[in-house]
Amino acid sequence: MASSTPTSEPAVIVQNVSKRFGQTTVLDDINFEVAESEIVVLLGSSGSGKTTILRIVAGLEAPDNGSVILHGREVTQIPARLRGTGVIFQAYALFPKMNVEDNIGFGLRIRGKGRKEIREKVDELLQLVHLEDHRRKMPSQLSGGQQQRVAIARALAYSPEVLLFDEPFGALDAQIRSVLRHEIRNLLKTIRVPSVFITHDQEEALELGDRIAVLNAGRLEQIGTPYEIYNKPLTEHVANFLGSANLLSGSIRDGQFAFGDSLLEIDDVESLSDGQAATLVVRPEDVFLRKPENLTQNYQRLAVAQVVEISFAGAFERVQVRLEQSPNKNIMITRPKTETAAFPLAVGREVTVGLVRFRLLPAGKTGE
Amino acid sequence: MSANLSGVRHTRGFDLVKPLSITVIIAVMLPLVLLPLASIFIFGTSSGLDKFWAALMAPEAIFALKLSIVTSFWATVFNVFFGLFAAYVLSKYNFWGRNALIVTISLPTAIPTAVAGFALLLLWGPYGTLGRLLEPQGIQIMFTAAAIILANIFVTFPLAFGVIKPVFDTMSSSLEEAAATIGATRWQTFWHVTLPSLRGAIVGGALLTFARSVGEFGSTILVSGNLASRTQTAPLYIFAKFNEGQVEAANAIAIVLALLSFMIFSILFFARDWLEAD
Amino acid sequence: MMRPFPNRKHRLGIGLAAIALCCSLVGCLPSTPDADHNGATITVYGFSIMKEALEKDIYPAFSAKWKREQGVGVNFVSSFAGSETITNQILQGAPADVAILAIERDAERLKQGAATASDWGLRPNHGIINKTPLVILVRAGNPKGIRDFADLASPGLRVIHPDPVSSGGAQWSILAIYGSALLRSEAETGAPDQARALQLLQALWKNVISSPGSAREARTQFELGQGDALVTYELEGLLMKQAGSGIEMVIPKATIFSEHPAVAIDRNIDVAKRPVVQAFLNFLSSDEAQKTFVKYHFRSVTNEAFNEENKEFANIEQPFTIEKFGGWQKAYPDIIEGIFLNQVRNR
Repeated sequence: MASSTPTSEPAVIVQNVSKRFGQTTVLDDINFEVAESEIVVLLGSSGSGKTTILRIVAGLEAPDNGSVILHGREVTQIPARLRGTGVIFQAYALFPKMNVEDNIGFGLRIRGKGRKEIREKVDELLQLVHLEDHRRKMPSQLSGGQQQRVAIARALAYSPEVLLFDEPFGALDAQIRSVLRHEIRNLLKTIRVPSVFITHDQEEALELGDRIAVLNAGRLEQIGTPYEIYNKPLTEHVANFLGSANLLSGSIRDGQFAFGDSLLEIDDVESLSDGQAATLVVRPEDVFLRKPENLTQNYQRLAVAQVVEISFAGAFERVQVRLEQSPNKNIMITRPKTETAAFPLAVGREVTVGLVRFRLLPAGKTGE
Repeated sequence: MSANLSGVRHTRGFDLVKPLSITVIIAVMLPLVLLPLASIFIFGTSSGLDKFWAALMAPEAIFALKLSIVTSFWATVFNVFFGLFAAYVLSKYNFWGRNALIVTISLPTAIPTAVAGFALLLLWGPYGTLGRLLEPQGIQIMFTAAAIILANIFVTFPLAFGVIKPVFDTMSSSLEEAAATIGATRWQTFWHVTLPSLRGAIVGGALLTFARSVGEFGSTILVSGNLASRTQTAPLYIFAKFNEGQVEAANAIAIVLALLSFMIFSILFFARDWLEAD
Repeated sequence: MMRPFPNRKHRLGIGLAAIALCCSLVGCLPSTPDADHNGATITVYGFSIMKEALEKDIYPAFSAKWKREQGVGVNFVSSFAGSETITNQILQGAPADVAILAIERDAERLKQGAATASDWGLRPNHGIINKTPLVILVRAGNPKGIRDFADLASPGLRVIHPDPVSSGGAQWSILAIYGSALLRSEAETGAPDQARALQLLQALWKNVISSPGSAREARTQFELGQGDALVTYELEGLLMKQAGSGIEMVIPKATIFSEHPAVAIDRNIDVAKRPVVQAFLNFLSSDEAQKTFVKYHFRSVTNEAFNEENKEFANIEQPFTIEKFGGWQKAYPDIIEGIFLNQVRNR
């Protein structure tokens, strides 16, 4: 499985973790690592098992097999309260009858720290999350974003081994979501604590993660940097989950991808053999439309097509074309303003479809 | 908290339904509740305030009131502690027989109080199943203040529990999980996180138990022996005075009890917001 | 604003202090007033109408006497209810030293229940300490024109009658009514007519609107205005007249005298207490106590001359006692159970 392995000793190691609930397999042999001050995002739809992984790392649930290792210490058998993880729950789980500073200081208070030490630490954290003016407020008086920051401060108070975020932006308005993501990422990079986020939002994953692990029905399909995940998906599911993807079925012929009448040159032939059925994955922004006779060297000519639908999407134009050869597949393309200005289109127009970047996967690697 | 229903207008002009329905409520309550309560106050002071005061200051009366308050206090303390403990355990753990246990806890309210008193006598009386073993040791629980406390505990057993358990049921489990991940032991979680959210239910349950205890009669009259200035609680005193024909004296104490209950429930009502769990 | 007492140890200390204060205020049992801690304590369970005589006069008199003779006073603790009720309580283990009952049958029950071992019948007057005849109380002016027990069966009349199951006084009343009916039929026809007596009871019971647990409760209800007539002890009627309640007493031609025994509950009396309890029982038959009883409208059993002192006592033409029916051993099963419970009430 392709992944960029960190060089120093990882902060978190999840090894061969599996879990079943009754007849259902929720997690199937999960393996990944988190390096010091790295942010790893577990991305998947609901039911993919991402929450379960988080709970297993935190110690709120026990795996059937496998182990969790935090900073070299095997914690699989150790109860949650002795692991030293910091969890930021989906609804933040702030203690409703304590004010902000009591919430933050809770971890130190139960560890028996002195009043002065607690106050100093709390002051430091309040400054870090910019909530000094709200220290006396009760959780019910705070906005969602403020509550989240309190939850983070509360977890940081006792210097956790790792921070675990459970879909933290789900409860917030769309406008502030992006701003907060940015802020949180900056904060985490400042304090250099390893973090794991779980989310179903691919935009969030791309923005937040140093690396992204894509989960599908309990299996880890791919882990890698956002660039790798986006541009070099290993399965159709990964391709579809991040951004949109056009999938074309064809086969390998003489070291090239044969699709209808077209032949496309391919780079990594070694993973595929002649005669093998394969799927071509191409992103909408990597497809270009030209007048039938104009196709420069950079583009691989795919086929001739007819424009079927055009919609305006603000920063770009979304076009759907129908290939004229069989199979008469529809391809989705997004065109930036430069393209629409240079070559305006209308429905019914004939165009040549060219691909600049694509990936080939063995057919059937749907990742089911 | 003021009325929280919508203020939608339903009629064009003057809405008759509102004053009409309020009148109906009061009209129904008058003969059933309001007038009987008022008659206690009227009758108790009808012979003049000095007689009322004399009846109140009678040593037997003062003893009875004190005894009622003390026995109710300890019964409340016990039932609140146990109710808290039972609510915690029964909402946290699942086990075979759990639902049966919950139903059993609620059982005492359905049992007529006289039956409860009798049952206690059958168990702890000098000829009772357990009592006969204690009698030779010189231990006699029945016909003492301890018996009154036992009877009160039985009769008010499910009250505090019934108020506290729903709070546990609706409490978010993520609070406990958060406390655990932060490093708190079970006890620390209970003390710092769970208990503060329960304070309203605890206070409410305690007041309810206390109010019910003070008014308990059917079981007390059987197990206490009804000895004036020894084991005679306020309700028993009222009953005795009534039987002697000293109706004004009975009323004087009845007024005190009514005022006490009124005070308790006023506290419950006005402190509702503070008592409410988030 | 700084939270008061942020120091945890301070908070803990204050919390404990508050709890201690609370417990001492609300948690300590009240002390019994007037307790003479040197003297003995006698616990008396008495049937309802004994209360005033005992508490106001008899107890203080005996305590003073004991103090004169022995140097320490005596504390009395009492509980009053219907005779059957206190008998049941004592059988269940209530801590009585002395029981003063309305009917001798209750004493029998105590003996059967091993609460008492002594034979009260061996004491003077069979252990009976006072007596009083059963009479009829009506409203001032006697608007319904009641003159004897038979009139209580008039249709439409409303009668208060305590429950014979729990009240000794109620049982006396039944016997009075039944006995007087027998005597009347005997006078008219020469032989007692049991059928007619039964009919009288049945008709009368139809008029009963309330059946409270003791004679005293019945009196209270009548005082509060319920019912047209009440069958009760003469002394109850005299007490009511004394208190100025608007009632009149109707003296039947023939009626029964209720006789009240005092019994020592041996089971609860330890050796140290035996002398004072015995002395108390003897005291109840003494001239001093008997005169006191007369003052409270009980009739003396030791000396008829004492009864002259009370001008309120009416003259009963045809008095009878439980002996007429062969004692309680026969009266209870034959009349109370056989006739009343089976044929009158449980119809």
